[in-house]
Amino acid sequence: MRRNQGCNHLDHHLARRQFLAGAAGGAVGLGLPGSPATAEKIKGQHKRVLQIYLQGGVSQLESWDPKPGTEHGGPFRAIPTSVPGMHISELLPYTAKQMHLLSIVRSINLKTNDHRQGRLFMEKGRRAGEYPYVGSIASKYLAPANSELPGYIHISTRGLTDSTSAFLGAQHGQLKFEGVKPPKNLAVPKGLDETADARRVQLRDQFNQQFRVGRPKSLTESFDASFQQAAKLMGRKAFFEKAPDPKDLERYGKHDFGRNCLLARALLENDATCVKVTHHGYDSHAENFNFHLEQLGEFDKTFAMLIDDLHERGLLDSTLVMVYSEFGRTPKINVRYGRDHWGSAWSIALGGCGIQPGAVIGKTNEKGTAVADREVDAGHLFHTYLQALGIDSTNDHDIAGRSIPIGDPTAQPIKELLS
Amino acid sequence: MNVNQSDTSDALVAQKPVVDYDAIDLEKTHQVSEFKHKFPLTSCRVDPTGKYVVAGAQDLDIQVWDLQTKSNRTLKGHTSWVRSFDFSKDGSRLYSACWGGDIKVWNMADTQPKPIMMIQAHTGSARWVRISPDQKKLATCGNDLLIKIWNVEDGKLLQTFKGHERHVYAVDFHPDGQHLVSQDLMGFIKIWDMKTGKQARSIDATVMTGYDNKFAADMGGARDLQFSPDGSELASAGITKVVNSFAGVQDPIIMLFDWKSGKEKAQLKPEKTFQGIAWGVRYHPDGFLIGAGANRSGKGELWFRKPGEKEFFHTMKLSTAARGLDLLSDGRHLVIAHSDGAVRVYRMTAEAKRPAKSKS
Repeated sequence: MRRNQGCNHLDHHLARRQFLAGAAGGAVGLGLPGSPATAEKIKGQHKRVLQIYLQGGVSQLESWDPKPGTEHGGPFRAIPTSVPGMHISELLPYTAKQMHLLSIVRSINLKTNDHRQGRLFMEKGRRAGEYPYVGSIASKYLAPANSELPGYIHISTRGLTDSTSAFLGAQHGQLKFEGVKPPKNLAVPKGLDETADARRVQLRDQFNQQFRVGRPKSLTESFDASFQQAAKLMGRKAFFEKAPDPKDLERYGKHDFGRNCLLARALLENDATCVKVTHHGYDSHAENFNFHLEQLGEFDKTFAMLIDDLHERGLLDSTLVMVYSEFGRTPKINVRYGRDHWGSAWSIALGGCGIQPGAVIGKTNEKGTAVADREVDAGHLFHTYLQALGIDSTNDHDIAGRSIPIGDPTAQPIKELLS
Repeated sequence: MNVNQSDTSDALVAQKPVVDYDAIDLEKTHQVSEFKHKFPLTSCRVDPTGKYVVAGAQDLDIQVWDLQTKSNRTLKGHTSWVRSFDFSKDGSRLYSACWGGDIKVWNMADTQPKPIMMIQAHTGSARWVRISPDQKKLATCGNDLLIKIWNVEDGKLLQTFKGHERHVYAVDFHPDGQHLVSQDLMGFIKIWDMKTGKQARSIDATVMTGYDNKFAADMGGARDLQFSPDGSELASAGITKVVNSFAGVQDPIIMLFDWKSGKEKAQLKPEKTFQGIAWGVRYHPDGFLIGAGANRSGKGELWFRKPGEKEFFHTMKLSTAARGLDLLSDGRHLVIAHSDGAVRVYRMTAEAKRPAKSKS
């Protein structure tokens, strides 16, 4: 199994200064404002993304595409959902009651069983190359100019950091929160009063004036945007320090994933644009069934509560919800009661903004070993996410006069899934 | 030439060893028969009269083999994998527990048994079922964190024991019939008083669990539980030293506890190279202990421990993973449910010599 090799351990601890330095570094690349045409299309509608990433590869047979009683079906049964005729695994009883708000794609074939390749394909919609993640694209094209929060926030209890923004500029890169703890060094350094801090800002502005001379405007804009984001985040330190409501905690669960999803809800309510929450522990090469009992037991109620809250609060119509992994798991059960990596025929769930609710797209064969109908890959999914958000994925990024297709031109959206 | 023969010129004649083929000789344990199913097996149990062996599998059925005639019956009715069985003392009733949460009761005298009673015992998996020493009650445990006691005749719920905070993996009656023991994912063993309906005490088996830092999840639980025949000792089979349970990297362990004091008596482990899970443990009436397990690569082992010793004195390699273990009442045979779909019967004596073929 390979992990993201593009980070070092320092990346795992985002500090304000690193954030600023990273922004400056990214600005040296191709950071430019978004395509005016694209920005105009979505002006006035702040659409959001909630990504629930089930890290390691959740088993489609224990979640969205159960095959009880078949050769590889495993011990769990299928249960009916709030959508007539739609069944999911009995490990998701709370989610089953929310399926009228969600849809399932059961026919994904990534043609890779590698963690890193699968993850990057699912995030970028391309098999290879330096392209931005969905979250960075959302940050670029959906985040309001006056946003008080960074455009792409990732809440996880483990320390992997991705380079997500590619040529979009570092201010659209993923900002990693290690659980509900605020990023380090948010406060003004000790011994530095407000006056001194203001003078530091003035000094930086002076340097910026000189730096701008002879340089592209976009470069300094990216740099400034990062400083502004950091400053806004500093002003919102209390946001993280507020303890969750005990009633909410009771509903969501008193575990990391519950707390992380409560933070995600608060961020989305406060106009964050893309919030990703990672739930770890699905790479079950051994004891797949006991681990899925544990992990999905934790995921199910929390996720269902979050969907219910977003719906109740009127946020779901403007929030695209993605529940995904880097791949699924083998139908064949190995000798350790495990399931191995399987990118050939697996599922995700989508809902909210722009997504037809209650749909089941595609299907696998009787034993779950191959896609039987409506095969799609991450390229198709990528177009679907963006079009659901109102971003024309067939358009181009305008990067310093260079046009780069937003989505893979060889793939198309799953039109029947779009509302 | 030996010393006794040094003064003779007679031809040397080797003394034939006297072999009692019925005497237990654990180091000569060998396979004597095999019963095959098309799906990997999950568990097995032998009826107390030694007539049948039953097995659960990675399907919805129960396989029953007659040990004498080798005939097979398939019991249908469960909606999920069956992982635990028990028999009435006379072997006439079979009790089975499935991951769907149901307990089914079967009349083994029927030619083609159908469930004669079904108990919807637990929300989530029913992991274990055991009949009480007086044959009047069933104990079950499940993923709803509960232990339940049922009237064996009519399936009515008699008692519920609450207290575990994680999935309960196994439950058994103490031979005194007054106490129950249960073990959960986190290695908490609880002892329940049947009279008061409350927890009487606990035993620390937390060495049998571990938090997998890499994947942020707990792994543990008893995979088998058994009391010694006199009730003075409890054996629990499972895992320890969790490194990467998602890849099966942990060690098998069988822990022994003194029933009265609750103190640990032994931690029995196979060779360090055998990483995996201990799936079965049985006390032989003669006092020795037998364990069985599976390693990461799908091989199995049988382990034997003499009374009072701190280590296994003999290990027998098995070609495929052992997922369940039981003993025949004759004290000479054990059965293993294997991951290749076979129940294999092993005899714990020297191999009987086959009659020589006559020369003609």
